[in-house]
Amino acid sequence: MIDVKNLTFAYGKDKEVLHGLDFHVDEGEIFGFLGPNGSGKSTTQKILTGILKGYKGSVRLFGKEICDFRSPAFFQQIGVLFEFPYLYNNLSVLDNLNYFASFYPKEQLRNPLEVLDSLQFKKDFLKKPVSSYSKGMRQRASMARALMSSPKLLFLDEPTSGLDPAGAVLFRKIIEEEKRKGTTVFLTTHNMVDADLLCDRVAFISNGDIVALDTPKNLKERNSSHQVLIEYVYKGERKTEIIEADELRKGMMFAQDEIISIHSKEPTLEDMFIKYTGRRLT
Amino acid sequence: MQKSFCSLLKKDLQMMISGKFFLLALGSLILYTLFINLGYVNFMKAPGYGVYMYVPQGVSYPEVFSDKIEVVQSEQELYDCLSEDTNGIGIMYKGKEPEFVLYYGSNTIDNHRIAYAQSLLKEKEFEDPIVVGKNTTEEKQRKEMSCELLFIEIIAVGFLGIASILFKEKQMGVMRVYGITPAPKAFFILSKLLVFLISDLIFAALLTIFNVRSSEAFHILPRVLLQTGILSLIMALIGMCCSLLLKDFKQFSLAYLVVALFISAPVFLSANTSAQNSWIKWHPFYHLYMGMKNAFFDFQSEGIVYFLLCLCSIFLLFWFVKMAFMRELSKEG
Repeated sequence: MIDVKNLTFAYGKDKEVLHGLDFHVDEGEIFGFLGPNGSGKSTTQKILTGILKGYKGSVRLFGKEICDFRSPAFFQQIGVLFEFPYLYNNLSVLDNLNYFASFYPKEQLRNPLEVLDSLQFKKDFLKKPVSSYSKGMRQRASMARALMSSPKLLFLDEPTSGLDPAGAVLFRKIIEEEKRKGTTVFLTTHNMVDADLLCDRVAFISNGDIVALDTPKNLKERNSSHQVLIEYVYKGERKTEIIEADELRKGMMFAQDEIISIHSKEPTLEDMFIKYTGRRLT
Repeated sequence: MQKSFCSLLKKDLQMMISGKFFLLALGSLILYTLFINLGYVNFMKAPGYGVYMYVPQGVSYPEVFSDKIEVVQSEQELYDCLSEDTNGIGIMYKGKEPEFVLYYGSNTIDNHRIAYAQSLLKEKEFEDPIVVGKNTTEEKQRKEMSCELLFIEIIAVGFLGIASILFKEKQMGVMRVYGITPAPKAFFILSKLLVFLISDLIFAALLTIFNVRSSEAFHILPRVLLQTGILSLIMALIGMCCSLLLKDFKQFSLAYLVVALFISAPVFLSANTSAQNSWIKWHPFYHLYMGMKNAFFDFQSEGIVYFLLCLCSIFLLFWFVKMAFMRELSKEG
């Protein structure tokens, strides 16, 4: 679906921000693109969505080089959720959706009310202007705009930002539903939970280079110490012990009266990011 | 394609309505119409300068003079009259020839005032000149003022109107959404141009009909609308360009002051007063203003070169605005 080879991009003569990116995204895959601010995430997404021109290397979407394919047919197949909810504040969500829908062929459009319903948008606000909406409602309206045209390729930038935990769970469910329908998702996020739960593969980008690319599971396993942390009580005293995972086969080799918890010492995705880039995701 | 353009047009119209642009234009139209019909025309009908004459006893003076001259009884009274009416002219007969007394204004205007006072002393107040042109004084005044106000309205209000809409869209970020929709990017610019053009044309038509008033209003209307269209497109494109390139409305306000100052001040001075600047012929808006003035006075002086240059400027500005728009789309959020 997306095939990027040796992608470089510079804002001006000496300001190269992407230094030869190589990655591909398969059809129906959720691909996470993670990186701190200024790492080149947004630039990459803008090239992929056809907004930025003048890149070097090869960027193929739907099997075609994007610089030759920036036509209405290309834009009809993509949906984009921006980092901020870009909507007309003076119009209602329905007016916004109907307005943006008018740019797409009728046959590919979903019913705006059904999309909003799936996003649990409050019905009382359907005809109120966007300026009266909460951050979460604006995010839902923006997501509805991105989904409404039934895109084959969905670019999501921080989809769960501004949502309460229940909203974040709902959005993840919707993204997974899109994947089941065969939609390819290119997810840009700072949120490690989203990336871990949703993505089939993730790429870590730092200073314009991809420093790691694999499934979240492989990345964590590859860097795991294979240890477990055991919390227990012995003679009324609460204690912890770290042992190699293999040692568990032999049973508990230390004296204890009661086991309280056993946790694997597997690293988190954020730990991996810090390990590969030396930077935190902020 | 057609559907996308109609949606854009409808949305731009909604934005203009919610931004109270039409209300502002209607307010301007009412204000200008009231000013021309109740103020300017009557004001221009005001009597000329006050002329006061003092003739000491025993001094000979013309026996027949205009009744517009007010005869005073003493030299002191003459000075008192002039101190109250500082534009007035005093005539004093100390010898055979009259002496003129006035507060200094400027050489040109003072000579005018003296010539006027002299004319009142003659038996026949005014010569009968050969009048060129068919406009009566009132028609001339109405056309001149309508032309000036229409020019101001388009370069100031229209320019600000388009900027306010674009800054709103910039602020809401919706402009970025166009970058990823299948609608051609030029539609975004074209729909705004069309809405402003139609609005300016309606404004120009109403202003001309209400203020030129004579049957000639309908005769000159097509040419007035053509000149309005050219100016409207150019100003809307400059307004779009400024609002796309400048960061916020504060910066735009400064640019607006500069544009308004450099467009209107020298153009009005050169076109409507005796102040002549040799460089004004290089000022593009002077030619646009004169084009509009000629349209109001039904005087054809613009040739094919003028219209070709206007067309080229519009295309060039459109291309520049498109570049600025594409640059805005690729900016960070």
